[in-house]
Amino acid sequence: MTEIRYRRLLAFYPRDFRREYGDEMLGVLMADKRPGPAQVVDVMRGAVAAHLRGLWTGESRAARVVWIFGTMLLFAVALRRVVGGLYALARHPEFFGPPVDVLSWTRLAAWGVALAAAFMGWRVLGAAGAAAGLTGEILAPLRSYVETPATLLYAYWLIVAAALVLVAGLIADRGVARPRHWQWVVAAGALLALQGVFAPPSRNGSYDLQWMLVLVAVVLAAVAIFRQEPRLRARLLCWAAPVIATVPVVEFGFGQFIVYNMGHPESTRMINPFQWALLVLVPVAVFVGASLLDRRGRVTAGA
Amino acid sequence: MNEPTFLILTALAGEPRHGYAVIEDVEGMTSGRVRLRAGTLYAALDRLRGEGLIEVDREEVVQSRLRRYYRLTGAGEQSLAAETVRLREQATIAEGRLRARRADFGGAPA
Repeated sequence: MTEIRYRRLLAFYPRDFRREYGDEMLGVLMADKRPGPAQVVDVMRGAVAAHLRGLWTGESRAARVVWIFGTMLLFAVALRRVVGGLYALARHPEFFGPPVDVLSWTRLAAWGVALAAAFMGWRVLGAAGAAAGLTGEILAPLRSYVETPATLLYAYWLIVAAALVLVAGLIADRGVARPRHWQWVVAAGALLALQGVFAPPSRNGSYDLQWMLVLVAVVLAAVAIFRQEPRLRARLLCWAAPVIATVPVVEFGFGQFIVYNMGHPESTRMINPFQWALLVLVPVAVFVGASLLDRRGRVTAGA
Repeated sequence: MNEPTFLILTALAGEPRHGYAVIEDVEGMTSGRVRLRAGTLYAALDRLRGEGLIEVDREEVVQSRLRRYYRLTGAGEQSLAAETVRLREQATIAEGRLRARRADFGGAPA
């Protein structure tokens, strides 16, 4: 084969790989005493592997951060339910029945196990805890789905976040190293957990304060992400994108659906198969799209 | 550790080598049974560099083409040593069982 043909073959490799090894590989290919189809197949296989490796590089490290930060926040949300319920019982014992249901305690335990496992780097236990937590996050809104389908939509971001944490735990780096700036997420989690005390859902119209605390917690978590090194930060944003995308999906995709059901309790509409598909596919599509944009940005920056 | 990786690390354990020299050394070590190709070799070299098991020793330009020499790192030496021990243990087990098997069959192959 001629050098030009080899160069065409090498063009299948990612640009950064070609820049690093292209010249060397060309020399080795030219010196190979057995040119032929097997050589071409080997180069093509190597090109595919290099592309896959490029996609994967840094993912397990980012996944470890997502795993730890995600379980911290989900544990805080679970804790908020329990703390809020117990606090409400203490203040208004006459108005409330059982303050905290079994599912809330179960979710707290599940995310607690997942959090401990994430810090220790135990994948199997982490996956078990996260799977139990995810199941709880799905079952909780499903209990009232028939009467109020919108409850599932309100919990949609939580379900997506729980699913992402489960996946992140399965592919995360091993080890016990804590990500940098985790203290910001602890602060965010503490704020979320104490939200049930500072602004319990009650009759005094304290929802504004509730949302304000949530907003501050989001800002604190965002600080933890934006203080990471640029490469890791970009990957963390890709992981966060599906959760962020749930807001416009519910707001614009299901706004009319929620309003209709609120106005027509006698003929409640259920989520149809197309809408179910949307709820499942959008987070996946957003993650893939964000990752492709991130990769394109990296290639462009490296050009 | 797969066989090509083990053989590449073994080739670099002797002395720093460039890509084509690694291919030739591996072919020599295995009496021609394993002949690495460029795609396989550079995928492995890139991965091993990423894992810190090998590093660039020096570069030179030959016939206006870059030639880069790779060498084993301390981590690479440890990894190769561990794999060598593992393979030796397995080979010892296999040898012992084959010896016992031949003894059972009165010294004749089964």
